[in-house]
Amino acid sequence: MRNAKQVRYAISMVIMLISAIVWILLLINPCEIMTIEHCHVSAAGPSATSLNMLLAMNPISSQLIGWGLMVVAMMLPKLIFPVQTIYMQSLKRLRFILAFLFVWSYLVVWMFAGVFMVAIIIALNLLMPLSYIPAIAVFLIALIWQFSPVKQRFLNRGHQHQVLAAFGRTAFKDAIVYGCSHGLWCVGAGWALMLFPMLLPQGHNLAMLVVTFVMISEHMEHPQTPRWDFNLRLKLLRILIAQTKIKLKQATT
Amino acid sequence: MNLFNGTWIDQQEVTITISGSGTAVTVNYSNGRGPFRGTTTNSPPQITVNFTDDGGNKTGTLINNNSQINWDNGTVWKSYYVRKNAWIDNNGGQFVNADGSYTDLYWYAKGVQVMQSRDLNDQNSWWFFAAIHGISVGLWKQFPAPPTIPTTPLPTKAIQDKFWNQCQHQSWFFPPWHRGYLIALEEQIRAAVIGLGGPATWALPYWNYFGPGNEYKLPPAFAELNLPDGSPNPLYVTARYGPNNDGNVYINLSQVNQACQKNTIYTGSNTNTPNPGYGGPVTGFWHGSGSSGNLESNPHNLVHTQVGGSGGLMSYPSSAGLDPIFYLHHSNIDRMWAAWNQVGNSNPTSADWLNGPASKGEREFVMPMPDGSSWVYTPDDVNSLSQLNYTYSDLAAGITFSQINVLTQRLSKLGAESIDVKSDANMDLGTQSELIGANDGQLLLGASGVRTTIKLDNSGKEKVSRSLLKASATNLPDKVYLQIEEVKGEMDGNILAVTVNHQLAGYVSLFGLQGASEVDGHHGGTGLTFLLDITDIIDNLHLENELNAGSLDVTIQPDNAIPQHEKITIGRVSIYREQLQ
Repeated sequence: MRNAKQVRYAISMVIMLISAIVWILLLINPCEIMTIEHCHVSAAGPSATSLNMLLAMNPISSQLIGWGLMVVAMMLPKLIFPVQTIYMQSLKRLRFILAFLFVWSYLVVWMFAGVFMVAIIIALNLLMPLSYIPAIAVFLIALIWQFSPVKQRFLNRGHQHQVLAAFGRTAFKDAIVYGCSHGLWCVGAGWALMLFPMLLPQGHNLAMLVVTFVMISEHMEHPQTPRWDFNLRLKLLRILIAQTKIKLKQATT
Repeated sequence: MNLFNGTWIDQQEVTITISGSGTAVTVNYSNGRGPFRGTTTNSPPQITVNFTDDGGNKTGTLINNNSQINWDNGTVWKSYYVRKNAWIDNNGGQFVNADGSYTDLYWYAKGVQVMQSRDLNDQNSWWFFAAIHGISVGLWKQFPAPPTIPTTPLPTKAIQDKFWNQCQHQSWFFPPWHRGYLIALEEQIRAAVIGLGGPATWALPYWNYFGPGNEYKLPPAFAELNLPDGSPNPLYVTARYGPNNDGNVYINLSQVNQACQKNTIYTGSNTNTPNPGYGGPVTGFWHGSGSSGNLESNPHNLVHTQVGGSGGLMSYPSSAGLDPIFYLHHSNIDRMWAAWNQVGNSNPTSADWLNGPASKGEREFVMPMPDGSSWVYTPDDVNSLSQLNYTYSDLAAGITFSQINVLTQRLSKLGAESIDVKSDANMDLGTQSELIGANDGQLLLGASGVRTTIKLDNSGKEKVSRSLLKASATNLPDKVYLQIEEVKGEMDGNILAVTVNHQLAGYVSLFGLQGASEVDGHHGGTGLTFLLDITDIIDNLHLENELNAGSLDVTIQPDNAIPQHEKITIGRVSIYREQLQ
């Protein structure tokens, strides 16, 4: 029988491993699922023909797969603590299925959001192919959103844990509702940051890594009073710096 | 007044007491050396002592704000403050001693008066210090005077973010953060006392409500309207309503106890220590609800609620620091922690605890000091009294017990062979826990409480039964806990009595409920979680063959009536088994 610490560690490792594998997939970018391909027709300007060409070269299905992989890679580490809590607070025989339903529901919400995101990405690529203007515009929107009280509200609600019923169908329903609500708060907090890398003609892998760091960091921060606040929320960076200092101190003593 | 009177510590860490005045001063060593006779003068502040075993007269001079004596032979003595009993050492909790001199409580009141005369945005003010523990401007406006609580002028946001709302609860940082907080407050009061011509050796008293006689009652000085000089008594506050909400403030010892002193580990569980341990659960960066450590849960939380009552200052973490009794209560909690250490129990040794939450990207512990500096500290800096400059007049643990008896008695009760019982002192054995039952749906706590049925899972129930049947010194029987999860509401000042199958499981305080329920608050609105060790009840049910029923009957009864417009909800009531190994 594994102890609680081992179970928590195992959950962390499994989730991080899945995320890492998907990251590798994204970086390899098979079948160009993470990027929009263009041709001279789309570059000539928006038209029904160019839209059809664009969709033929970049099917919605493959774009959604790319989006889904991106969500799994970037968002899964944020679910470590809710999944650990579900494990600790559930009957042993239901732990895996409840955690699975929670994660699945969470991802479904992001996939719904993905439909709109992919539509925006295709539309902007149709209007301004290979242009940095859409990415810059979304970056500015993301900056405003980043420091807004509305975003803080979404982040705060992301900390709401929902204790699940212990038995029967109610437990399954609770796991799904929890996953959906958690996903909703997460989409609300992170939609602009997620959209930004997808609009970059170049360097979106690097942008995705930076955005992931920011999103995990801000998720780790305590809830705050919602207000306009120039708060970078770089808790992960603070942890890394503090831990490095401690290690260096230990090494020198 | 003799500026040298008090307790000092020399470079060999021997405690020395100086008493008397003028030409009749006595110097006593705690190691039996002496006593020696001497004389003192206040101007210049010098002492001359005839050390008969070391060459005769030597002269010492007070420096560093009267905190140090520099002797002419190069020796240095540092002042060592002794926190004394608010009842016994203060003439029964009064302002004036039998000999007409003022007690530590009087000087505390005078110091509080000085701090209260300062503005909210002054880092040395009473109000600023209360806000270091916690502040909610809306809540502060609700309390009747006295004291008249200011909510302006506010300091800058940067200052607020640095100092305010630091208190650590439901965390293993609860004891060390509060220790540093008391040290800083004590420095502030001492500086004020010295400024008023009071004793330089002044130290914060403690209220040991577990003491004999009337000590369970609020020290009388806190109920006086005026000080002996006729000025309003700053220790008196209106919003201190007591356990029955009638202004009679005392500690109901049928609810509050010091059973936590029997614990043997700081974090975790074993046969002597219920989860989450004496000092509290390990806290990382998940900000959901956790349960209080055993010291924090009882007596700390219950005393807060009993003193404050319904709507009192002490009942909310965001206002508790406004009530002067707060610091005497925490002085006692700190004393209990020191006493717990003194009988051989250890604090965590992990770097995560020693380095404090700043090592996990959280705020650092920081206090404003009287000289305008900021004191940044970690748990490692306040780990034991031996590294600090104060002690307590009484460090008795409060409870005498035999570690081995707890397990032996339980095995004996379960009918198991109890010879060769291994001692699990200082070991965390309860690392495996499992949900085995829960009620169905959210509960609304009404004026008359709530009753619910816990359905037990067959598999979990059988595991517990098997564990109890096979219990032995090598097969430790399971422990069982009742967990009340996600308790949310607005009204902190209440205590809940919890029973399982008509047997009392314990009392829990709703101290911190409002803050923990705020969606935009520190806990993200996850509410409070309470953990009650019901192992003994489960043993009884097992022995009476009632555990096979498949369900448990739980009642949760509030001490104070819950008004109709108040809504307290409980997310789930559940049962966990914990396998000890």
